[in-house]
Amino acid sequence: MKSMTLYVDKKSLMHDIDPLTKLLYVIVSIAVTYILPIHTFVFAVTAISVLLLIIGKVFRKILPIIAIGIILIVSIIIVQGAFHPDNKTVLFSLGGFAFYQEGLSYALLITLRVINMLSSFGVLILTTKPDELMERLMKKGMSPKIGYVLLSVLQIIPQMQATMGKITDAQRSRGMETEGNLFVRMRAFFPLIGPVVLNSLNDTRERAIALEMRGFNTKQNKTFLHAKKDYRHQGIIQLFLYVVFVGAIVWRICL
Amino acid sequence: MSKESMWSFKLSTAAIVLIPAAIGINYLGKLFAGLLKLPLWLDSIGTVLSSMLAGPVIGAASGIINNIIYGITVDPISTVYAITSGAIGLIVGVMAYKGWIANVKKAIVIGFVVGFAAATISTPLNIIFWGGQTGNVWGDAFYAFLVSKDMPVWIASFADSIVVDVPDKVVTVIISFLLFKGLPKTLTNIYRSDNEIKEL
Repeated sequence: MKSMTLYVDKKSLMHDIDPLTKLLYVIVSIAVTYILPIHTFVFAVTAISVLLLIIGKVFRKILPIIAIGIILIVSIIIVQGAFHPDNKTVLFSLGGFAFYQEGLSYALLITLRVINMLSSFGVLILTTKPDELMERLMKKGMSPKIGYVLLSVLQIIPQMQATMGKITDAQRSRGMETEGNLFVRMRAFFPLIGPVVLNSLNDTRERAIALEMRGFNTKQNKTFLHAKKDYRHQGIIQLFLYVVFVGAIVWRICL
Repeated sequence: MSKESMWSFKLSTAAIVLIPAAIGINYLGKLFAGLLKLPLWLDSIGTVLSSMLAGPVIGAASGIINNIIYGITVDPISTVYAITSGAIGLIVGVMAYKGWIANVKKAIVIGFVVGFAAATISTPLNIIFWGGQTGNVWGDAFYAFLVSKDMPVWIASFADSIVVDVPDKVVTVIISFLLFKGLPKTLTNIYRSDNEIKEL
């Protein structure tokens, strides 16, 4: 079945690392860049994230993810560069706006943080199958019900997209206008979303019955479809990440 | 109906299955809004609808899980706003339970409350993560204008969120309300954990 995921199926060192370790990496690498406002340090962390993407052979796949954040980044550079409250030293002016050193330096820091956030997430989501991550979390004690919810979303969305295509075509063939002024377009929203909502809510009823037939609510321990994968050296890497995290906090306090 | 029942965590299977459906509706709302080139996001219709149907617990869960799912599939930035989405679900759930979905006028009040709450919660997140902006062109232009008029960053950032969030949430709640009222009764009462079975 088609599923919504960015996972890239390749063989690499990153693909063989425990998803929980990668999840911990995401949390720690984002946290330390926000704990320590030092340009070179944030740049180093970002470089590590990018390096991990290259090791995972998925560097090219991160570019569309960064492209989503590009509006935010551009806005940060323009607004902070020109309007940051601490602005004093003019660097250059462009189209009537002066850009200041203090603001641009701050904008650079935030931009690096955003890129690091996107890249470290990329390390997790581009090299990890969603099912594998959920299974590891469930083995760690997350409720299987939450696991079900998270995984089923990934399958429901492509299904609903297909339904959406059908409904858009059906309503257009009945003469619904999807172009024109704002009022016309606003009015077209209801005949589009209404049937999908009704459809998907109807499905939930059937799905609920099907799940209960299969013992969704039993208190017994659940078993897993996939055999346990053998991850090595994970304890050491995780310990290292914890040490880095605590180290960053200590560094910040001493600063 | 007892008061605790609104917060009951004993959720029916139907209510749990509602969460993925709500997230799907959120996604489609955003997609249709993009398709029709509407100047709003309309990406929380599912969350609001699920809160109206199944109460604050499911609503908040839909909101939080929605942003986590987006984080790990499409857009990592949205994970930051998981708390905001959760709060939207929570507030709509509580207000719906207290009878604020009796008619459109009351639903509009929910929209304003949710819009202001969303802006209030997003503001500290925006300041911590991106120095106060939202990434929305109109909001950020307003932000730049206020900062250049020597306003403190947090007021400018709050105003930035308000101009973006309030209109979007008011329209979202109105749409969800109209959809909710259009649903058949056989559907709407399978999700509630507080419904008593009435004798014929």
